[in-house]
Amino acid sequence: MKFLLSILMASVFFCVSKAQKKAVVIEKKMATVPGGNYKPFFVTKNNKPIYVAAFKMDESAVTNSEFLEFVKANPQWHRSKVNHLFADTNYLRHWKSDLEIGNPKIYNSPVVNVSWFAAEAYAKWKNKRLPTIAEWELAANGAPKNFKYKSITDFILDWYTKPNPPFVPNVKSTYQNQYGLYDMNGLIWEWTFNFNSFIASKDSRDNSEADFKNFCAGGAINVVDKTDYATYLRFGYRASLKGSYCISSLGFRCVKDLK
Amino acid sequence: MKSILFLIIIAVVAGCSDRNTQSAFVGEVPKSAAAPVGTLSSESLYQLPDTFQTQDNKKVTLSSFSGKPTIVGMIFTHCTYACPRLTSDMKAIEEKLNSENGKVNYLLVSFDSERDLPDQLKKFANTYSLNKNWTLLHGSESAVRTLSVLLNVQFQKDAEGNFSHSNIISVLDKNGVLAFQKEGIDADPSETIERIKQLLQ
Repeated sequence: MKFLLSILMASVFFCVSKAQKKAVVIEKKMATVPGGNYKPFFVTKNNKPIYVAAFKMDESAVTNSEFLEFVKANPQWHRSKVNHLFADTNYLRHWKSDLEIGNPKIYNSPVVNVSWFAAEAYAKWKNKRLPTIAEWELAANGAPKNFKYKSITDFILDWYTKPNPPFVPNVKSTYQNQYGLYDMNGLIWEWTFNFNSFIASKDSRDNSEADFKNFCAGGAINVVDKTDYATYLRFGYRASLKGSYCISSLGFRCVKDLK
Repeated sequence: MKSILFLIIIAVVAGCSDRNTQSAFVGEVPKSAAAPVGTLSSESLYQLPDTFQTQDNKKVTLSSFSGKPTIVGMIFTHCTYACPRLTSDMKAIEEKLNSENGKVNYLLVSFDSERDLPDQLKKFANTYSLNKNWTLLHGSESAVRTLSVLLNVQFQKDAEGNFSHSNIISVLDKNGVLAFQKEGIDADPSETIERIKQLLQ
């Protein structure tokens, strides 16, 4: 009888400890970003402020270790097996092999060299999604805590002038903002769900509807702040991407609707 | 008593292993966006697992268009300017391919997941007298965005629920591989027609 009881105790203990161990690996902290109006950077007649509902966002970018868990569970996302319609040949090129990251210094760094499709698949696997541009920009506008720069723009421009480090630093190594989000700028570029949104680009004299309505006057466009070069660069960068691109400074983080 | 305890142990252990299974994401894995389907070419857009609804309220995946070349445009029915013209451009291609009637699919996929439900798509099809070679599709925001990324079509929803978008007519071969694209409305269709004819040979 006592023997049986001790087995029972042991199995319960085993069960609980195992569940806890797993939970540590899986749960990533998310911060709540309150709802608010997002003013599109490119102002046009049809491009009014958009109300963005409150949402939860990963407090930091998805790391190499976290992405490895996804790759282990989804063999079609192994580097050697990935379909090049969904990820170009640079996919995870900084890893040692299909299931080995290699350099321990980057276990906790943002995963880069991942395509939009890979980021989407990861988010779905986590029952999350990628942020929209409006959500990402709203979140990134949060005031930095303990900041030595005059403004986020100054900080970003300073980051842009620096060459890429040999490997991406760990997450949480730049600054945290008022919502509790880390590294919204200064570490990597991040995928957004609708990165392929229409903006005035090289195509602005094509016959598209937006041009017809908005850019007839010699392609004249208005932006929120004409001196905001940092944002110009971010929007230009997004417009240059394709879904299969894997780039050594481009990663992602996920969001979730508030329940 | 002993047997009851024994049962409890089994229940606990079984419960425990169940939970482990779930936390390791075995079995419960949500479908990833890029799960390959069957034996399609790795370049095929027909690998997308997402389900769409037609103007006749039928559920289809893109792979149901395999077997014939397919001409694809992305539009929304509340569009007052570009989309009716893009549709006319596709109709003009159909007329020029009159001798090949029934051998080509004409596909319009809506940007507007909110308003372009099957009924609305049916109305649009009637307004523009689109025949049985034409399919209009409604899909989830995620499905439509994925397709737009694959077709390099840019689009953005504005505060009123309308869309700014690029205008591209794409040609897929019978296996769903992107064969040709032409950007712009009122664009010269002769190249597009040439490519479709090649695909039909």
